[in-house]
This record gives sequence, structure tokens and C-alpha cells, in this order.
Amino acid sequence: MSIDPDDVGPLLEEVSSFAKARIGGAVTRPEEPLPIAELENLTREALELGMLPTGGEAGFGLWESCDQPHDMEFNIGVLRHVARANVGVAFAWHRQALARCLERSLGAAPAGDDLFGTILAPTGHYGLARNSLARWLAGSEQGGDEFHLLADWLDRRTHVTSFVAPESWKFLLWPVWHEGDVLWQRVSRDNVWVRELRFQHGFDEVCAYQILNASGEGQTWQVGGGVSRQLYARILKLDMLGLLAIGSGGMARGLELAREYASIRKQGGKRIDRHPAVQRMLSDVEQACRNADLALHACAQPVDELDLGLVAASRANIHEMLCMAANQVVQVHGGIGYMRDAGAEKLLRDMNMLKLQTGGTREIGAFLAGWFGDYE
Amino acid sequence: MTARSHLQDHLPYDHPLSPRSQYRKLPLLARLFIDYSARDLWETDTRRLPAPLAKLRRKACAFAQDVLAPTSSELDLAPHLPPGEYHPKAREVMELAGRQGWLSYFLPAPIGSMSLRAGIYPPIWQCSLVVEEFSRACGGLMLLLSAHHLGTMPLMLSGSVGTILKFLRPVYQSCLRGDPHLVAFAITEPGAGSDAEEGHGAAVYRPGVVATPVDGGYLLSGRKVYISGGDLAKSMTVFAALAGEGMESWTCFYVDCPSPGFSVARTEQKMGMRASGAAEIEFNDVFVPHDRVIGGLRQGWALNRATLNTSRIPVASMGVGFAAAATQIAAEFACTYMLGGKRLIDYQDVQLHLATMLAETRAMRSLVWQEARHAWQPRQLFASVCKFQVTDRAQHVCEMAMDLLADHGSLHENRIERVFRDVRLTRIFEGTNQINRLSVIEDWQGELLGRNPVIGSLGV
Repeated sequence: MSIDPDDVGPLLEEVSSFAKARIGGAVTRPEEPLPIAELENLTREALELGMLPTGGEAGFGLWESCDQPHDMEFNIGVLRHVARANVGVAFAWHRQALARCLERSLGAAPAGDDLFGTILAPTGHYGLARNSLARWLAGSEQGGDEFHLLADWLDRRTHVTSFVAPESWKFLLWPVWHEGDVLWQRVSRDNVWVRELRFQHGFDEVCAYQILNASGEGQTWQVGGGVSRQLYARILKLDMLGLLAIGSGGMARGLELAREYASIRKQGGKRIDRHPAVQRMLSDVEQACRNADLALHACAQPVDELDLGLVAASRANIHEMLCMAANQVVQVHGGIGYMRDAGAEKLLRDMNMLKLQTGGTREIGAFLAGWFGDYE
Repeated sequence: MTARSHLQDHLPYDHPLSPRSQYRKLPLLARLFIDYSARDLWETDTRRLPAPLAKLRRKACAFAQDVLAPTSSELDLAPHLPPGEYHPKAREVMELAGRQGWLSYFLPAPIGSMSLRAGIYPPIWQCSLVVEEFSRACGGLMLLLSAHHLGTMPLMLSGSVGTILKFLRPVYQSCLRGDPHLVAFAITEPGAGSDAEEGHGAAVYRPGVVATPVDGGYLLSGRKVYISGGDLAKSMTVFAALAGEGMESWTCFYVDCPSPGFSVARTEQKMGMRASGAAEIEFNDVFVPHDRVIGGLRQGWALNRATLNTSRIPVASMGVGFAAAATQIAAEFACTYMLGGKRLIDYQDVQLHLATMLAETRAMRSLVWQEARHAWQPRQLFASVCKFQVTDRAQHVCEMAMDLLADHGSLHENRIERVFRDVRLTRIFEGTNQINRLSVIEDWQGELLGRNPVIGSLGV
């Protein structure tokens, strides 16, 4: 099922209005995180509006349609608009929607309710399994060492997995390794060891957790062979694209913040946006935003035609640029940019968080070597 | 090091091709020029310092690790306190720091706690060594301890022995008794920030604090913002314009915080360095007697700039401390975290990453020590170069550490996210790094434009 191309614009207008009025309205103070009850209310509203996929029949919610360029345009647009209002909310919805869509692809009956019933943790316990995951996804011939690495990377029995999610999550969907194949496992929060960590760097609206499934128990789905590789690559592409879209939306707000402040604050007898030093910083932010938009535009293709290496390479570069841009937003503000009630520092923390998700960006170099180079 | 513990793809030290072990087999004369002792890097750097400074560094390190580090996380996560309230743990630390001399080490006995043997080296060098160690352990407590020295600097630079004896001595003595008398430095004005540095360029300067002459002294009125330690200070060096005059009239006043009309309007909720408050101070006709004018009427601007020249090298050393902390956290993680049955450190790309972090950190330290060792009369250009270059690179090192920890980098308990929040401030305060770049050019312009236009003679 695909969205009518003519509907994308009007639908995104609606999402934009909702994000500005409801999410933006609920988070007026950047230093005060959105209470969980408020996040749930907003999620309920988003579900009712059809912005997010439900456990029922397929609709046009986030990530439900990914097979046409305009579907992808819609998905990217939704996350951009939501992130412009609040990056943490956008992240929570992105991972929830992706979990729901993965459940559908697996033919799994939805678990829990629609309010953050199932959350996705798309990668292993650290990084991106160097170049081994990419080589497995590309169908390269692999030896025992690489299988050993992948088995360890996805070993949920002995390695603790860190992830961030809304407090009310009930099930976690993650990849596990089984005899040379990636399976998808859904574990109940009640049946695994979970440690709630009180503080994390950013995404103040959600919590950080560590989880260990020592018994290895959980509902498991195996799609097998090439389909298994294709499905995992698809999930990684959508996840990385989602993170990029969230970063792009968040920094669009950052650019607004920096411009607004630079147009009212005076120094040396004139507005600071008249100073080349500040103009240059604003240009850095502008440049990062435009590069992110360009990358997202290039990725608005049917997901199965999209090259995973291209998405990963974009993620590596663009998140670095977005973090630098968020730093410039803080810097344009000067002292007030460091204060929690101004919003700039929160944006910087959130940009750092985006970079650290899905294995972080440092290992993308190794991942690309495995994807493009077929190096062992 | 045994073969079992050596890193993959590197020779163990006892391997016949390992140069480290082979050097020891060379003749004595050759060994004198070739062999080296590969001891701990911190220890190596410390031994390179003159003995009194090495002793100071060891003492600062011990205090930082024994006293500051254990409370660091708790103070970072503690709820935002109302203005003027001390977190009990912070109070304990400050009392102990006072008794141990960490609030009075810019002058020797009988006034302060500086070791007499260290007295032949620039106090900025000493301060830089201390600040680096404190930053490595806790950015917030480091700032609480260091902002006090910034506050006392105008007293010290006033050029008046009388001022030092009358005002600074009691401050130091109180601290040494374990009753911390903190002094804050108040320059930043509302709507300003970096204007503290460039306000003289304003077409129409609107003073944040105005001093109106009255019988026996001045009445101060107005506001100062982002005053580090201003919420807990007992006294404050306040820079104000004289009534009806511009920025050229800036004068430094030594204000008693309990004076009528003085109040702490609010403290900021900061991103990091949260153990130290940043206060907004309100002056409502605060009376300051004539004898508390520091450095002379209308000398405030020069005194302020001189103070910043002394403080920017220690600010750079904060960057070194944070980068060192980040490198240590990353190295510990790499040596303990297992992936695919191997430690992360066994992977070549991780080794490259860590080597870069180490090189960056050591390059920063070299720059700071190079400038600090000659900083009896710190030049604006050197201080600003040091400040912006080191703090920019220090943040980069902290980002590299977060990247290395990847999925685990955002967790508070892994410490690196806090170090990032702390280091971020160093690029903003004491003049943003953009302002510091312009300060370099301001100071350099005479050589750039002046006497000899031949580029080769600039001596870059």
C-alpha cells in the first residue's frame, strides 16, 4: 500500500501543524523534560491521527510504506517535522514505528498495546560488528572468525545491550545470531534482566536501559537466507535514514534559534549577525542543514533500491556535520547557549545522542570497507 | 609484559625484534643516547618539571583523585539549588581545600600557601598544573575552586601592597583556617557575554553596573550575569562604569557580599560544571567605601584585561585536563571491553584512534606548559592562542572518546558524557573562542601592520 503522491504535501502540512501546536506546545521549557504521561498523550494523538502505525490494519503511518519515492518523502518529512519540535519524541516514535513495521514484515502478531508496546534495538552490543556485518549483508563469503564475531556481537545472553526508549516499553525486538543467520527475537521486559539508568547524555524525554537475556528465551522469527539479509539491510537503512531525518529536523530548529538570537543580540554597537565571525558560524549551521537535506533527498527512493552503503556513508558524514552545527548554535548564543533554559545545549546533547545510536558512527568506516570493498 | 598480554599484531617487549628490549643490550655509551625508561606518561611529564612544581602536581593529583573525584558524579546530578545554598558535599570539599591551601596558593607565606621554593616560577604555571589535575577529576569543583582565584586576581594585580595586605591576606587566612572565603570576579553584564571583551567597541555603551559617587565612596547599582561562584562568594571584584561616563571609566570595586543592597537574583541551570554556580547579581545602591577602589579610578578596563591574560592560560589547562580524562576513559574502555573475544584495544583502528587522542592531549599540554612557564607577564596574544586552540581541540578529543564508546558513550556512568558537558564551557567563557581569536589579532596588529612590512620579519 502506498500513499498517493498528491497527498504527501497536505499530509506533511498536517504533521507540521500537529508538531508545532501539540509537541511544541507541550515542551515550552527546554530544561524541563516532557513528563512520560504527556509523551503518552501525544503518542495516543499521533496514533489517532494515523501518523504512527498501530497493531491493527496497515495504514499510512510512519515507515508503513517505503516502496515509492513519495512514501519515503513522507516518512522523512514526518520525522523532520516532529524533530523540529522535539528530537527525543521523534526518536521514540521512530523506533516504535520501525518495530511495528518489522513485526509486520515478520508476520508477528503485535505484542503489547500501541503505546510503546514494542521498541526496536537494531544492532548488537557494540558498534557495527566492524566489517563483518556489512560483509554478511552483502552476501560475501565469510569464515569462522567473522561468524564468531557476529555471534558475539549479537550474543544477548552474555553481553549487556544499551538502548534508549520511553519508560513504558514492554517488549524489545532485536536481532540475534543463530547458525550463520540473523533471527529476530522479541523479549518481554518482565522476563529479562533490565537495568534502568537514571541519566543519559541527551534525549531527556526517554530513558537509557541496559538489558541482558541470560536465558536466551523469547519469541523468535527466522526468515532465512537472502531474505534475512535483505530484511536486516532494510531495517538498518530505515533506522539510519530515520536518525538522519531527526537530525535534520532538529537542526532546522537549531538554525532558527541561532538566527533569532543573532538578530536581537547586539555587540560592538550592532547586531551580532552583522559580524563576520557570527555570519560564518550561521553559515556552518546552514551548510550542515542543507547537506542533510540533500542527503535525505537523495535517499527518498524505494527502500529496497537504496544502497545501504550510501545511507551509512551519509550517516557518518552528516551526523558529524550536524553535531558541529549544533556546537555553532551554542557558540552563537555565547554564555546563554550553555544554559539549560535556552534550548541550544539540549539540541547539542540530542545531536550527540543521534550520532551514538545504531552502533555510533566511528565504525562506519569499517562497515563501508566490508560493504564496498569486500575486504576480510 | 608477557606474550599473553601483548597487543595483537604488535611484538611483545621480550621478542628478539622488539627494540625496547634490544636497547638494553647495547654498550653503555650507546645506551646513554638510545635507551629509555618507558614509565607512566603522567609520571614522565611530572619528572620533567622543576622539583617544586613536580611536587605541586603530585599533591594536586592526590587531592583531585582522593577528594574531588569521589563526589563528582553526585554533584553533577544533584538538583539545582536555590541561590546561596551549598551542597553539603561541596562545602566539605571547599573547607578541606581551604585548609590544604588550594584557595590561597598564588602567594607564599605569611600571606598564602605557595611553597617558597615554587615561588621562583610563575604562579600561572603553578595554577595551570593544579587546574589540569582538578579538571581531570571534576569540572564543577575545579571551577568552584578556580573562579575564586580569578576573583582575587584584580587585588593581586592592583600593584598595591596595601590592597594585598588589607583585602587578600584575610581572604587567604580565612581559607587556610577551613572557613572558605570565596571571591568572585564580576565583569559580564546583561545582554553582554563577550561584550565584556568588546564593549569598548560599542557605539553607545550602556553600563550594566553604574557607580555613583557619594560621601565616603560609591553606590553601585545594576546587574552582572554568569558570575562563576557568585552565589557562594563572600566578596567580589566588580567592574563598573562611573555615573555619566563610558566604558573608559570602568573601575574595579571590591564589594562585600553581605552589604545592604547586594543580592543573588538567580543561579543558572548549566549544561555542565554543575558543582559550581553561575549567578546573576543585583546591586541596588550597594555602598563601597573609597578604600575599596582597586587599582585606581578608571583603571578597571586595563585591570580586567590583565586579569583575563592571566586566567586564559589556566582555562586552556582545563582543556588539557578534560582531554586527559577523556583519553583515560577511552583507553580504559578499549582495554576492558570485549568484542568478538578480543579486547577493543586489539583492533588496529582502535589503536589509531587512541594514539590520535593521546597525541592531541600531549600537544595541548606542551602548548600550555610552554606558555605558562614564561607567563610572569602574560601577553594577550599568547594567552588567547593557548585558550582557543587548546579548548577547541580538547572538545574534539572528548568527542573522539564518546565515539569510541559508541553505544555506551551516552551513559552517565561511563563518565565521558559529563566530561563533554564540562569541556563545552571552556570554549565559551573567558571570552568565546571567536573573541579570543580577535584578541590575538588585536595584540598582533602592531607587528602585522607596523614597523617592518617584510613578511619574513614577522617572526611567526
